Amino acid sequence: MNTPQPHTPAAVQPREEDEFAPGAAEWPEDFSRRRFLQIMAASLALAGGGACTRLPHGEILPYLRQPESLVPGKPLYFATSMNFGGTAQGLLVRSNEGRPTKIEGNPDHPGSLGRSSVHAQAELLSLYDPARSHTPMKLGHPETWEGWLGEALPRIAHWKEREGAGVRLLIQRIGSPTMRAQLAQFLAKYPKARLHFHDAAFPESPMPARVHHDRVQVVLSLDAELFGHGAAHLSAALAFAKSRLSEEQPGRLYAVECTPTLTGAMADHRRTLAPSALVKYAQALADAVAGRAQPSDEWSAALIRDLQKNPGRSVVVAGHFQPLSVHQAARALNEALGNIGKTIDYTPAAAAELAPATLGELVTAMNHGEVDSLLILGGNPVYDTPADLSFAAALAKIPFSAHHGVYENETAQLCRWHLPESHFLEAWSDAQTLDGAESIGQPLIDPLYPSRSAHELLAMLLEQVPTTGYEIIRAAWQKRHPADDFESFWRKTLHDGVAANAAPAVPAAARESSPNAETPALAGLELILRPDAHILDGRYAENAWLQELPKPFTQLTWENAALISPQTAKALRLEHGKLAELRYRGRTLRAPVWILPGQAENCVTIHLGYGRSRAGTVGTGLGSNAFALQTSDALWGGGGLEVHSLGERHTFATTQSQQYMEGRDPVRLVTPGKTSVATESESTPSLYPAWKYDGPAWGMVIDLSACIGCSACTIACQAENNIPVVGREQVLRRREMHWIRVDRYFDGDAAAPRFLHQPVPCMHCENAPCELVCPVGATVHDHEGLNVMVYNRCVGTRYCSNNCPYKVRRFNFLKYNDTDSPTLKLMRNPNVTVRMRGVMEKCTYCLQRISAARITAEKEQRPIRDGEVVPACAQACPADAIIFGDINDKASRVTALRKSPRHYSLLDDLNTRPRTTYLARLRNPNPEIG
Amino acid sequence: MQSTAQTCETVSDRLSGLVLKRPLGLAWVGGLAIAFTLLLLLNVAVGWLLMNGVGIWGINQPVAWGFAIVNFVWWIGIGHAGTFISAILLLLHQHWRTSINRFTEAMTLFAVACAGIFPLLHLGRPWVFYFLVPYPDTMRLWPQWRSPLVWDVFAVSTYFTVSLVYWYIGLVPDLATMRDRAKQRWIKIVYGIGALGWRGSAKHWARYEMAYLLLAGLATPLVLSVHSVVSFDFAVAVLPGWHSTIFPPYFVAGAIFSGFAMVLTLLIPVRAAYGLKDIITERHLDLAAKVMLATGLMVALGYASEHWMAWYSDESNEEFVALNRMFGPYWPVWWTTMTCNILIPQALWWRSVRINPVLLFCISILVNVGMWAERYMIVVVSLHRDFLPSSWGKFHGTIWDWSTFIGTIGLFFTLLFLFVRLLPMIPIAEMRKQTVEDEAK
Repeated sequence: MNTPQPHTPAAVQPREEDEFAPGAAEWPEDFSRRRFLQIMAASLALAGGGACTRLPHGEILPYLRQPESLVPGKPLYFATSMNFGGTAQGLLVRSNEGRPTKIEGNPDHPGSLGRSSVHAQAELLSLYDPARSHTPMKLGHPETWEGWLGEALPRIAHWKEREGAGVRLLIQRIGSPTMRAQLAQFLAKYPKARLHFHDAAFPESPMPARVHHDRVQVVLSLDAELFGHGAAHLSAALAFAKSRLSEEQPGRLYAVECTPTLTGAMADHRRTLAPSALVKYAQALADAVAGRAQPSDEWSAALIRDLQKNPGRSVVVAGHFQPLSVHQAARALNEALGNIGKTIDYTPAAAAELAPATLGELVTAMNHGEVDSLLILGGNPVYDTPADLSFAAALAKIPFSAHHGVYENETAQLCRWHLPESHFLEAWSDAQTLDGAESIGQPLIDPLYPSRSAHELLAMLLEQVPTTGYEIIRAAWQKRHPADDFESFWRKTLHDGVAANAAPAVPAAARESSPNAETPALAGLELILRPDAHILDGRYAENAWLQELPKPFTQLTWENAALISPQTAKALRLEHGKLAELRYRGRTLRAPVWILPGQAENCVTIHLGYGRSRAGTVGTGLGSNAFALQTSDALWGGGGLEVHSLGERHTFATTQSQQYMEGRDPVRLVTPGKTSVATESESTPSLYPAWKYDGPAWGMVIDLSACIGCSACTIACQAENNIPVVGREQVLRRREMHWIRVDRYFDGDAAAPRFLHQPVPCMHCENAPCELVCPVGATVHDHEGLNVMVYNRCVGTRYCSNNCPYKVRRFNFLKYNDTDSPTLKLMRNPNVTVRMRGVMEKCTYCLQRISAARITAEKEQRPIRDGEVVPACAQACPADAIIFGDINDKASRVTALRKSPRHYSLLDDLNTRPRTTYLARLRNPNPEIG
Repeated sequence: MQSTAQTCETVSDRLSGLVLKRPLGLAWVGGLAIAFTLLLLLNVAVGWLLMNGVGIWGINQPVAWGFAIVNFVWWIGIGHAGTFISAILLLLHQHWRTSINRFTEAMTLFAVACAGIFPLLHLGRPWVFYFLVPYPDTMRLWPQWRSPLVWDVFAVSTYFTVSLVYWYIGLVPDLATMRDRAKQRWIKIVYGIGALGWRGSAKHWARYEMAYLLLAGLATPLVLSVHSVVSFDFAVAVLPGWHSTIFPPYFVAGAIFSGFAMVLTLLIPVRAAYGLKDIITERHLDLAAKVMLATGLMVALGYASEHWMAWYSDESNEEFVALNRMFGPYWPVWWTTMTCNILIPQALWWRSVRINPVLLFCISILVNVGMWAERYMIVVVSLHRDFLPSSWGKFHGTIWDWSTFIGTIGLFFTLLFLFVRLLPMIPIAEMRKQTVEDEAK
């Protein structure tokens, strides 16, 4: 260490180096203290000014006159109706401050009975879809409606001169009586104009029929979609569930089909046949019942005996996609069994009076230069027509073509004009069920974009006044329903959602036309084409909710696949998840192979609706376009298909990788003789006393006997709870967000398995494993026994998800919610938080609905009534499979169901004591064939 | 332990010289450059993570924990050897620990620092990490004390704090030596600040010894508690493959096992590079290898008892997990674990292997790999198939998972390179004491 040096005093240093020279502390003369303060004050003020953000300008004004019954924060419900494949679905739409936010079924409407389908639910997203058509387009450039009129009016004058020669209208299934009347007027005004019909998702059945499911004991489905999308699946599902659960005589369902359908999944006996074999089988059955032949096998003999035991209480239903001969066989069977007029009525096609010509005739006319003006009302014929017609090439020859639709799709691209169509929640319309019940479709919101409804467009073309939708519909109704007091009739109909004086449809002779040709037995495989369960013929391709909804048998999302049975795949050396080339009548299509047990042998099913080239940001370029294989003589497939493996690997975006139950039996099965399931004892020993709930204790029972596996619950939940979609890439990583999922298992024989569907929401366990492990208490039990999530407390450790035996928790791995698109902001349910990135979420039993009911009950000083709280899933469920209520209430429906011998909890041996429990699935097999 | 020619003076000179006199070697600069590059990769990975969220990793619905937790447990485990060597062996009067304790303590600190990053980053909303800490909140919200993740916060932060203080206290006399031996003034000042005014008086020494002993006593239970608490993250859960009472001892043994493997991985090159073969002798290698063998056998017992219980319990889920680990889609993970953690360490029964630096180095690397695979097996393979077959899935690490993992290795080595350059990696004072004691003998 150095020796410390003596300190040198500062005084010795030279003055020049001293920075603190005398006087340095004094203010300079020219810079006074006063001046300093002035400058500082000014700087401070300026600095403050710089920190200001200009607030966005906007005006908040109170209502000058409060609209009747509108209380901010309280939703209103309006009855309306939706045209879906030519029939009405009566709806009740919730409106929050003028924004439709949720679609429900209208309980007063005979077509929906308060239930709704995946498509009705998903229409909400379509309304607010940012990719919707925003403006009229002429040759790809934005135009105005005035511009359209400027060009259309001289045209119309020209049409009138030539009596409409060269004018063609292409329509889809029409359920609106007013629309039909307008089209009839159009044909009257332009007598030489022609109507053509094309609908790839809802073809006219060769023999339209109406089935009275509530009177049926034994059903035989010949490839019919009883519970899938279609005319009356909502009421069918409910009626079937009732009959299946009937104590004295449970209903029975036989299904003979080519490719798995929801009907086959519910069937007690299912048989798969290739389409050509099904035609023969139907004929053989008709012969056997008529006594002309012996049943081909024991199965059929038992089936026939069962049908014959129930004359007038059975029904044979043929599918829409089956050729006329199958329908004739079904009709012969129904006649022989005395069912006609009792369980089934044959009806005329809804648009029969308009007698539209076919698409083929239109294309021929277009190619011959006979068409001068073509108006395409809805639909997308450039995409969804058989490849051999080359509709796009024919369309290019038309001098004046216009497409009217909600989306600017492939057809809109190739037409001279595209005209934006109003969504049904934006426009006045009307609709009719198969039973003839009429309802008004009233708008819930002004059109978001300058769009017109089809009624308004037709009125324009008819040069009619009035031209507003309201006036058109009201005038048409006044004409159709002349009443002394029309005003009150109109108001009541609007309020109830269904017309008080429904005219029943008149049964009439079948119209025998056959767009569905019989498939000749050719060498090779048979091709089966069907609309997709969710996006149908591609019309919902832009709807992300439907795209991400797992398909009922494959759990596949965002794409389609070539479905092949395991044996056929083995014979052809095809592997699951490898690309294959399908060759059919000189056309080829590449599609990934999906091996699906329960598919008919030697058949390949591929669903339509994918491979869209211009669907929008969501739906473009997904999957394979099966229309490339469709031919106009046999729309739904035929023989002569070849499949060659390309060897390339394809990764499927599926939400379920395991197909079987692995001996764990999450779905339990019972039969009428033996309805009880073995369960663990309710009272597992515990050191702690059981928690007592003073108020209600919410619980849910899911009846697997009723559940048809349609996934309406999933979409209803998505709409109600602001659940985001994540996209194909994220589904590939297994990050889908559905709060209630529908699991699907195959059971039994791998060649002909039973299909089991099981909706799984949060179990709201009494002993919730998730709550124990959350480090911040973000998931806790509430006073009514709900397991609730506190989003703003959640830090996102995901420990709860790991510890959830049911894996029902969903995590925002990334920012999934689109918080930027202005229209999507309108869509959201204001009573449910929009979750941010990094938080966990899950089913809440629709807590917001429970709170609303509690507030109402407290105001009225009464307990909450049984059935007053209905979660979105239960409300949508077509089959009434989800029952919710207070398990403390001895009289509640849910308490009664919990006492059923079929009652069990999922994974009961873990002692989680779930509040969501199940009723085992009841099968009612014919004892003769097990 | 060292050659008899050593005196207090030569020990001080030589060991302080490693830092003060040794020129900047190309190997050191190159090594630091590589490590620092990897550290920059960590920065990028973390930046991207904070921008986008944990979704950039491969975690998904059944497998909600992935690399982050695997790496956390792995690093924490590595940290255990340092404390074990410096505290438990001190209390057991194992004098051979002296020459390696500083280095292994530093390793512990850096490993715990690497480990500590992961629980923070794996949060969905890392900016509210403090919700896990009991702080006076106006809403009167506290953490949820039943959750093992809260226990983790305390266990890991306590462990890090005690390790840091213990390491620092041990450094104080050496920092004073460095201060006294440094030539440049600024270096003197820097070390002088660190030396806290140490003058080497008898009073200083007495207090120092007492503090060191007390801290050793404090650190000893931590060796056992930290990994026990970490193992509760799994053992408390209902998940088959996690729900097991064997976890605490089995995790602690595994931690010491992997920690010693890492000690050998680091010491073998260091003693060669710095010519310390007379200070870190064959005997050290031999003893460290013996500890590895012993703890490795304990780990093997843990595996065996897990599989035994799976069979003996007759619980179908447990049986399934055991079989799924062996023959399921992740079968290579199980076989890697067994090969690296059980089979290969059996070579350590032979002394010739234990004192062969090259072989020992290879084995230690394989054990590190095996222990990482074991954590992967526990975290990922248990999660990917649980109760309901419908929710079964798979997990694969993404490029960001790997970047983060490799980035922490970069952080670890950056700190280590700086440590060997800036601080005495062999405790000078203790080596002097050792020399005196040896001479007295």
